[in-house]
Amino acid sequence: MKFSSFGKAGLVSLASLFFLAGCRGDQSTTNSSKDQVLTRMEGDVIGSMDSATVTDAISGQALVDTMDGLYRYNGSELQPAIATKIANPSNGGKIYTYTLRKNAKWSNGDDVTAKDFVFAWQRAVDPATKSQYAYLFAGIKNATAIMNGKMKPTKLAVKAINAHTLQVELDHAIPYFATMLTNPVFFPQNEKIVKKYGSEYGTTAKKLVYNGPFKLTDWTGTNNSWTEVKNKFYWNNQEVRLNKIKVQVIKEPSTALNLFESNGLDDAVLSGEAARQMKNDPSFTPRPQSSVFYLELNEKKIPAFKNKNIRLALSKAINRKEYVEQVLGNSSIPARNVTPENLAKMPDDTDFSEAAAKDTKYATNFSKKEAKQLWQQGLKEVGISNLNVEFMTDDSENAKKSAEYFQSQLESILPGLKIKITSLPFKTRLTRSQAGDFDLVMSAWGADFPDPITYLDLFTSNNSQNNGGWSNTKYDQLIQASKTTHATNPQARFNDLLQAQEILTDDQGVIPIYQRAEAHLINAKVKGLAYSPSNQYNFVHTYIAK
Amino acid sequence: MGKYILKRVGYMVLTMFIIATATFFLMKLMPGSPYANQAKMTTEQINIMNHQYGLDKPAYQQYWIYLVGLLHGDFGTSFQFNNQPVSYLIASRIGPSMQIGVQAIILGTLLGILLGAIAAIRKNTWVDTVATFFAIIGRSIPNFVFAVLLQFFLAFKLRIFPIALWEGFSSSILPTIALAMAPLATTARFMRTEMVDVLNSDYIELARAKGNTPWQTVAKHALRNSLIPVVTIIGPMAVDLMVGSMVVENIFSIPGIGDQFVKSITTNDYPTIMGLTLLYSFMLVVVILIVDILYGLIDPRIRLSGSEGSN
Amino acid sequence: MAEQTNQIKLNKNSFNKVGANDVDEQEKISAPSLTFLQDAIRRLKKNKAAIISLWLLVIIIMISIISIWWTPSDPNAQHVAYANLPPKIANGIPGFTGKASVGGEIVDKYAQANVPKGTYYVLGTDYLGRDLFSRLMKGVALSLLIGMLATLFDLVIGIPYGIISGWKGGRTDTIMQRIIEIISSIPNLVVVILMLLLFTPGLGSIVVAMGITGWITMARLVRAETLTLKSQEYVLAARTLGESSFKIAIKHLIPNLSSTIIIQTMFSIPTAIFFEAFLSFIGIGIPAPNASLGTLLSDGQKTFRFLPYQMWYPAAAISIIMIAFNLLADGLRDAFDPKASE
Repeated sequence: MKFSSFGKAGLVSLASLFFLAGCRGDQSTTNSSKDQVLTRMEGDVIGSMDSATVTDAISGQALVDTMDGLYRYNGSELQPAIATKIANPSNGGKIYTYTLRKNAKWSNGDDVTAKDFVFAWQRAVDPATKSQYAYLFAGIKNATAIMNGKMKPTKLAVKAINAHTLQVELDHAIPYFATMLTNPVFFPQNEKIVKKYGSEYGTTAKKLVYNGPFKLTDWTGTNNSWTEVKNKFYWNNQEVRLNKIKVQVIKEPSTALNLFESNGLDDAVLSGEAARQMKNDPSFTPRPQSSVFYLELNEKKIPAFKNKNIRLALSKAINRKEYVEQVLGNSSIPARNVTPENLAKMPDDTDFSEAAAKDTKYATNFSKKEAKQLWQQGLKEVGISNLNVEFMTDDSENAKKSAEYFQSQLESILPGLKIKITSLPFKTRLTRSQAGDFDLVMSAWGADFPDPITYLDLFTSNNSQNNGGWSNTKYDQLIQASKTTHATNPQARFNDLLQAQEILTDDQGVIPIYQRAEAHLINAKVKGLAYSPSNQYNFVHTYIAK
Repeated sequence: MGKYILKRVGYMVLTMFIIATATFFLMKLMPGSPYANQAKMTTEQINIMNHQYGLDKPAYQQYWIYLVGLLHGDFGTSFQFNNQPVSYLIASRIGPSMQIGVQAIILGTLLGILLGAIAAIRKNTWVDTVATFFAIIGRSIPNFVFAVLLQFFLAFKLRIFPIALWEGFSSSILPTIALAMAPLATTARFMRTEMVDVLNSDYIELARAKGNTPWQTVAKHALRNSLIPVVTIIGPMAVDLMVGSMVVENIFSIPGIGDQFVKSITTNDYPTIMGLTLLYSFMLVVVILIVDILYGLIDPRIRLSGSEGSN
Repeated sequence: MAEQTNQIKLNKNSFNKVGANDVDEQEKISAPSLTFLQDAIRRLKKNKAAIISLWLLVIIIMISIISIWWTPSDPNAQHVAYANLPPKIANGIPGFTGKASVGGEIVDKYAQANVPKGTYYVLGTDYLGRDLFSRLMKGVALSLLIGMLATLFDLVIGIPYGIISGWKGGRTDTIMQRIIEIISSIPNLVVVILMLLLFTPGLGSIVVAMGITGWITMARLVRAETLTLKSQEYVLAARTLGESSFKIAIKHLIPNLSSTIIIQTMFSIPTAIFFEAFLSFIGIGIPAPNASLGTLLSDGQKTFRFLPYQMWYPAAAISIIMIAFNLLADGLRDAFDPKASE
């Protein structure tokens, strides 16, 4: 080989790089209002399009876009979808009968019938399907026995009375059953198609059929981008204005920001510093999530945590406002309760979390002086002078930052407290939490359905998720009453829940820290974006303005 | 030669077997379950799932099942992607990684050879200093910093290249450049040392004495002889690229296997972690073998003796 | 090639008698006699880049050692109200004025945050209002420590392994080489990541995880060298005289291997520093709140668009360290390897 040929090759390759780069078209993918194309991003890939086995929010969003269940959230309003109206239960809240609309169709032209629901639900509870959300069916008669392999899936108490009437029988009244139905695991499935593809059902865009507003295309099952196109078989398709939703997986917030600012995205999700820096941008839109972060104190391992004053001192030494604004900076909300805001309403239409916080503000109000007093009093009661604890947390950017902040804050306000940070990968952290192998841990809980019970249930004495081991008899009784004697009486039920929440907050059984918000940058031309309590978009009425 | 290659392939199979075994048992030691919804599932539910996935069987039985599967080309099913065979997952994501990897190796080595040769010819002049400095910079700055700088200046500010995503060749340019920095630096450095050696050798003196111009000498004699050792470092550089691609794929949102590997690790997707580890190791072993064979072909002085081929 | 006939005319005057008159003079050695090490040092001294690098590293290491006891302010102390302040020094030379452009306007960030007069952050502050200069000092120290510990690991495993493998030869050698081949068939990063999942994150586990694969190169080089040394006369002589293998290794092999070892060490320290930076980017580097070059860089890279100084300074620091180590290593190699010297 000769030098000259090498030199040329090098030059040619360099030149071609720039030449080819010059060839590419304009960066912008801005849509004129005619196109009606929305470009958005997700933080990760779709894991599955099989509604029975879906576990992540990204797949969940894709399913909400492309499928229709009995009900659909439009904003916080629950609207009938395949069902013709929101059904009222009979027989003491145990029997629900749904009338299905006759014009609902699958994208292969088949009718959506009651049988599709029966099939999908039976399939979801069948242990062989390996659904990780099957437990949501637990209140339906026989579901638990089926999940434990003790009964056949066909015994599930859901039946198709005729092609367009579906009946469900519950073990006991579930006041929030209607809201659960928006979870993809309750969506119908076309038996013919599921059987045709077998274990490959829902593994690529082609291996399933859709009954929702959009159809999925360009999804190979593992790739980082996909497109949702308008589904002409959707029963309500005249309401759908977008022709296309293009979705890109973007993991680096700075990449997302760069793309948004060069019009490569209509809706970008930011995190960390990128979010904090863009907080004052006109397109900045915080989206509060039904997800609360709280500290669990391991009372079984650290006896001092059994002391209420010590727990209160820890809570009151945390300046939640400063923390949320300065450290997280993504417009998250300081939490006063473990139940997030805007999740559920009291029967009198006030927000549950706000109502519960009204008389319990003392427990979460930041006060150096009070915290210190409580701390010293607590230490005296326990009979120790200092406390060394390990603070376990995830290894994400925010979690690490938060841990650093708490360590510094708590140590400086509470004399004698020493904190050692251990940040672990999420799964490892969970396993240690669940095994009770921690002193102090930052945990999070996201709602499966918008009802306070999804949070409050966690801290009953025997709940397997109650890792810290806080226990209160009155609390347990109230939760029990809300599920049994008061289950069909909303007023009494919510009073139980409210009281329980107040007890938990007063006692700081767990220390609520913040309610997560997702920081979005949204193109001002995008109109009619509705965001649900289950943290999903409903794109049915979305459009791009001129 | 044939016998030598056969023997090497035999060792390769043995190596892969040992790696498969080691990673398998390492996976068994990992804390946490592979279930995405681990946070919300109760212990009983996790036990039911473990039973369904056969994870409640004794480790040696699972190992046996895994090995039998491997022999049939079955790497198991991913946990992150429901019902997606690991082999399909890898096959569908390997393209972009290979493309930027190969492009980066080509770009890096070509420019590296050029830079190294120029530096050697103009040894101890400012040209040498500048070239050497560039080469060292390439080794001194982590490629995620390069990636961020390239993205910000060339893509965001100047709009010459796409910011991110994977839409045709133009998307691959910035990741390629970011990835090529390390091999470029390594090659340049190696090339310079070798070339300086060669230029000092007798046969170059002879060629000069025969009246060849310096450029002729370089082109005809020095370059070829300096290139031989450069070939040997392509193997290690390929490894560097795999390492680098995890980060670069992340920044440029490229649907490749590097990014997937990091993700699989955070989600405890055991079959995918094992599949990718085996794949990475296999590629490495093959690259080393090819380099060894190439080395023998290029340089007739090196005989491929059976036992000490890799040293 | 065109034949050129150069006519050179020679006559008696073209030749000079070489001074063979004085026998003593003939016997004289013109250059002072130098040991190998002295010779190497002499050669190293001629290499300006290497010497500058050496001094730079000495200074950096000194600063790092100082940072164990003293930094301008506590590197982990937070002043959340003073978060993300740009660099500022007393007289405000350009680049260190404490001002930053926000939405196209130049704003005095220090005034905005009500920072009292006389408080300066030479390299600015980070997202928790921690002094970046102090963090950088600590970070460099920690990264160097990682580099050195990882290298120590290389030495402790790599040298004995290489010597035994090369010295014993035969079956032992074959088996030991197979083991090396297998370990080196898994990419380093993969091994390190898998290991870090098993151990609790921290300095120790990072060093051990890197050590598991790091020693391979050292072992290979040492073995190759041992193979050559084995057949040297003085080693054969020692053997014939019944010296034990251990003593031969200590007395004869290690001193002669030292140049190889030193050069390799100079290469593996920066490699380890680099590696740690990668691990930090993936999120499995040094745990909070401690700073390393890797964590500083990966934090800085996230905010590069808004707060470029948070990336530039750690990037400059890692570059200087890497360049210095590389140039010094090059210089040492040239110095120790007479083949490369002129």
